[in-house]
Amino acid sequence: MEHFSTPIVHNAPICERYHVMKLGWPPQFAPPLPGQFLTIQPPPGTGALLRRPFAVSDYDPLLSQIEIVYERRGSVTSHLAACRPGESLDILAPLGKAFPEPTGSARPVLLAGGIGMGPMFFLATSLLSRDTNPVLILGARDSTLIPDLPLFERIDTIIATDDGSRGFHGTSIDALHSFEADGNDMNVEYFACGPMPMLQALAVHAEQTSRKCWVSIEQTMGCAVGACMGCVIPVHGGNGYARVCTEGPIFDSQEIAWT
Amino acid sequence: MDLTVKIGDVVVSNPVGVASGTFGYGSEYEQLIDLKSIGALFTKAVTWEPRPGNRIPRIIETTSGLLNSIGLANVGREGFAKEKYPFLSGLACSTFVNVAGNTEDDYARTVEWLDEHAPLTGYELNVSCPNVKEGGLSIGGSARMVEAVTQRVRAVTDKPVIVKLTPNVTDITEIARAAEAAGADALSAMNTLVGMVIDVDTCQSVLPGKTGGLSGPAVLPVGVAIVYRVSRAVSIPVIGIGGIEGPDSALQYLLAGASALQIGTANFVDPTVTDRVLDGIRNFLSQHNLTAVSEIASLLDR
Ligand SMILES: Cc1cc2nc3c(=O)[nH]c(=O)nc-3n(C[C@H](O)[C@H](O)[C@H](O)COP(=O)(O)OP(=O)(O)OC[C@H]3O[C@@H](n4cnc5c(N)ncnc54)[C@H](O)[C@@H]3O)c2cc1C
Ligand SMILES: Cc1cc2nc3c(=O)[nH]c(=O)nc-3n(C[C@H](O)[C@H](O)[C@H](O)COP(=O)(O)O)c2cc1C
Ligand code: FES
Repeated sequence: MEHFSTPIVHNAPICERYHVMKLGWPPQFAPPLPGQFLTIQPPPGTGALLRRPFAVSDYDPLLSQIEIVYERRGSVTSHLAACRPGESLDILAPLGKAFPEPTGSARPVLLAGGIGMGPMFFLATSLLSRDTNPVLILGARDSTLIPDLPLFERIDTIIATDDGSRGFHGTSIDALHSFEADGNDMNVEYFACGPMPMLQALAVHAEQTSRKCWVSIEQTMGCAVGACMGCVIPVHGGNGYARVCTEGPIFDSQEIAWT
Repeated sequence: MDLTVKIGDVVVSNPVGVASGTFGYGSEYEQLIDLKSIGALFTKAVTWEPRPGNRIPRIIETTSGLLNSIGLANVGREGFAKEKYPFLSGLACSTFVNVAGNTEDDYARTVEWLDEHAPLTGYELNVSCPNVKEGGLSIGGSARMVEAVTQRVRAVTDKPVIVKLTPNVTDITEIARAAEAAGADALSAMNTLVGMVIDVDTCQSVLPGKTGGLSGPAVLPVGVAIVYRVSRAVSIPVIGIGGIEGPDSALQYLLAGASALQIGTANFVDPTVTDRVLDGIRNFLSQHNLTAVSEIASLLDR
């Protein structure tokens, strides 16, 4: 875990409302892993107090850079969208647990819902370099929220939109069912990030089909280092709660007490 | 330059502490700051039995503030002794266990047990947490009950006992005097202010328990005024807490009459805030040709 100030090296929109930002990552620091996140201190003038968490979406050891994909939502993300390369941000990283390695020979199926795409891109890139033949299913409300990325040419990608404006007409879960109905349901393991209803639907499906399923969870954070007990979600076992910032954000979907 | 602060018989190396509930049990911040540079570390509340804490969501940001409803989530006295104590006991800084409970008995038996199984520098009695329906708020709101709890704890330990006051009362000086009379070595002022946030889209309060405790820069002037009044009502040291985020806010407390400080929410924003504050205090002392932190208060309205 490192706390440092680092320059923005690239910052640009990739589709409606979503942006990608690359930041310098000092080469002497341990590299971040897929599933881990960072927090950014709100820059002066945003009127915001608490650091904002973002999943790491890529790490480039050659250029010593990390990347995040973020959605313009409120004060801090709107400010970020207007930042120029050369400006510096105060970063705390890498935080939280990473996605585990896929089990045995299982084919990794990666599901991303909306802005949950960031950590799935990082996981996809890292799995590709170890020829595990992953599949990426990317769901969004409509085509304006789907970027066009070189990554999609290197990995089996299924795009799904709620309104059918691009790719499969339906949710990412509908697309998964259709993909599996085509005979791709043999030996798979799920990795997902997205809205809670999507993750819950996937958890139910994984349980019914007895498959491993790893989900990345979001929760409002205070400290992001395990000290404040503010970011918990209900889980089975323990005292009934787990801290998303340190025990997560990656959880076995069966551990979570879905409501 | 004398940066030390005396709490009971204990000499704390410098006036900058970290507040209960915002710094875990120290190990969480080990990689981010040099824990030796902190004056005193106040642990998350420890209760007799473990507590799971409140329903979610537990925190929400407000204008310049943070509203929390953690609900004293903690591992209990035995979990504390087993899992947290070994790390804390190896630290160079002073370490105070923040103790909470629902009854006078709870406080006394927890302190007595910790004195035997997990002795650290001393105790801070959280009689003020607004999140637990019974106990917390009602004890801290009554001079009679604060006096009784303090007396009971005083009787079971020789270590410094600090009573942490709640601002959610009519006359805080009355409560402060009651704690002093019962043998408290110092007072912490203040805990969080009761607050509420309502989501206008859903017409629901954001926190499941409806209200929570407000902290952060938004509460600074409240804390400074409270320290100003309390430090004039008692002769034991007062530890200023609430909204400190840098040298300026810290110095306001010292000018108002605080002998020491605790920083809470600001640790979340900048884990190095304690270093910045201590540097700021040093600079202020040299600028004003002072030799000790205790002299700062004499500058107010001179
Ligand atoms: C572990 C983790 C990883 C995340 N990864 C990403 C990511 O890769 N890309 C990305 O764009 N966002 C991510 N988020 C969410 C991101 O932190 C919020 O979008 C951001 O804090 C909003 O800040 P803001 O000041 O722009 O908006 P605010 O003004 O704070 O809020 C604007 C809106 O966003 C909502 N919001 C605020 N914080 C969160 C949150 N933590 N989760 C969900 N909604 C929130 C608010 O309810 C509000 O409606 C992640 C959150 C967590 C906890
Ligand atoms: C997340 C959180 C948890 C807290 N937990 C405790 C606690 O367990 N015991 C206690 O006495 N005070 C607790 N507090 C109150 C702080 O110690 C401090 O009094 C308060 O936050 C005001 O200081 P600040 O504005 O610097 O944060 C907590 C505060 C926060 C924000
Ligand atoms: S954000 Fe503080 S414990 Fe997770």
